[in-house]
Amino acid sequence: MTYRHQFHKWFYYSLALLLVWFMDSQVLNRLPIFGVVPMLLPLVVVIVGVLEGAYAGTGFGMAVGLLWELTYPDGFGGLVFGMALAGMVTGAISQYALSQSLLSCILCSAGVLTILDGMRILRALFIQLDTLNVLLGIAVPEVLWSLCWTPVVYLLFHRVFQKVGGTRLA
Amino acid sequence: MKDFLRHNGIWLLIIAFLLSVLICISSLMMGGTANPFSNLMTSITAPIRDCVTAVADWAGGVQRYVLHYGEMEEQIAALEKEVAELRAQVRENEAAVTENEQLRQLLNLRAKREDFVFESAKVNARSTSNWQSTLTLSKGSEAGVQTGNCVVTETGLLVGVVTEVGSNYSIVTTIIDTSMEIGGLITRTNTAGVLEGELSLMQEGKLRLGYLPDDAKLVTGDEVLTSGKGDVYPSGLVVGQVEAVFDEPSGMTRYAVVVPEVKLDQLIEVFIIKSFDIVE
Repeated sequence: MTYRHQFHKWFYYSLALLLVWFMDSQVLNRLPIFGVVPMLLPLVVVIVGVLEGAYAGTGFGMAVGLLWELTYPDGFGGLVFGMALAGMVTGAISQYALSQSLLSCILCSAGVLTILDGMRILRALFIQLDTLNVLLGIAVPEVLWSLCWTPVVYLLFHRVFQKVGGTRLA
Repeated sequence: MKDFLRHNGIWLLIIAFLLSVLICISSLMMGGTANPFSNLMTSITAPIRDCVTAVADWAGGVQRYVLHYGEMEEQIAALEKEVAELRAQVRENEAAVTENEQLRQLLNLRAKREDFVFESAKVNARSTSNWQSTLTLSKGSEAGVQTGNCVVTETGLLVGVVTEVGSNYSIVTTIIDTSMEIGGLITRTNTAGVLEGELSLMQEGKLRLGYLPDDAKLVTGDEVLTSGKGDVYPSGLVVGQVEAVFDEPSGMTRYAVVVPEVKLDQLIEVFIIKSFDIVE
């Protein structure tokens, strides 16, 4: 693929990412269901990792992590590395153990969301923010509600993948 | 994974790690001030937030108008009647106000709120996470806003405290957030405690008043104000009402669950208290 093709491809992915970021940060947070808002950005990293592989997943994960850290309150930096790692691992898993399908995306999303909220729970327990029951009461609905959005985000990014993904432009 | 190794993908991970460390260090070094990268990004995205807020407010207004037209007509009639009654009451109260003013002068009491310097700001974004309760306001350091400034409604209800300031925006941590700790005072009994957020209560839009003295006799409906102890936040700001009183799991002390007066999900415009005199 030439640089022009690469630019074309990642331009489309960036537009899709901006759309999801807009929904996540400006729309869905105004419409909580039973007080829970979903996390869409990890889903984006997983789906691009599954569709494009480990290398692209790492780079895209880093970009998403950077966007997350810089546009959402209380950024501490860890998400840049964390999302890059998530993109790499999901890319590798989809290549060797799973396939480029919606089911793989749901499985990998469940894993990444669980690890993400697991880290939050560990931190909360470490600083004695609240009891495990209370923390799980927030994390479990958050993970489940976020997973419900996987097919929607997958459809969007799969459409982009069908149009410009892989080496189609080459 | 082959493409990852072939393209030296490990360098991407190293760059991501270094970026994480850079953001972490800059956040720690800047304290309550937004780091330059966040400041830049949030400033760039400010017009998007303003636009969405304007559309959401407009849509909310249209929805209310369409769905509650009959109700609104009834409310207008009721309000017109109430206005007439209130006008009559105001005339009666003017004499009482004059008398009250004279008594205040007599007792040499200060009109506490006259020292407040306000900055009005629009709420243009809300929390994006289930783990914290924050608001993004349309004013920042360019308007003189600083971390630690209290934020209130037009009727003096406490909304929260500014915890991060960018050039044209600021992040307010609301009173129900888990990181919030502020001195509280029960007006009826003059009992002091510490108002603090708790995750389980935050989901219900409430907070707790802890560290109550053993002999504290609270009842449902007691009004809670800020105590101003420590001279960090102004005293006398309305926080909410006591809903219930419980024993701590240890059984040694008690705490109260407080329902805030402010409706955090309905805020459109708020006022930042930029400075105040400390009342001894």
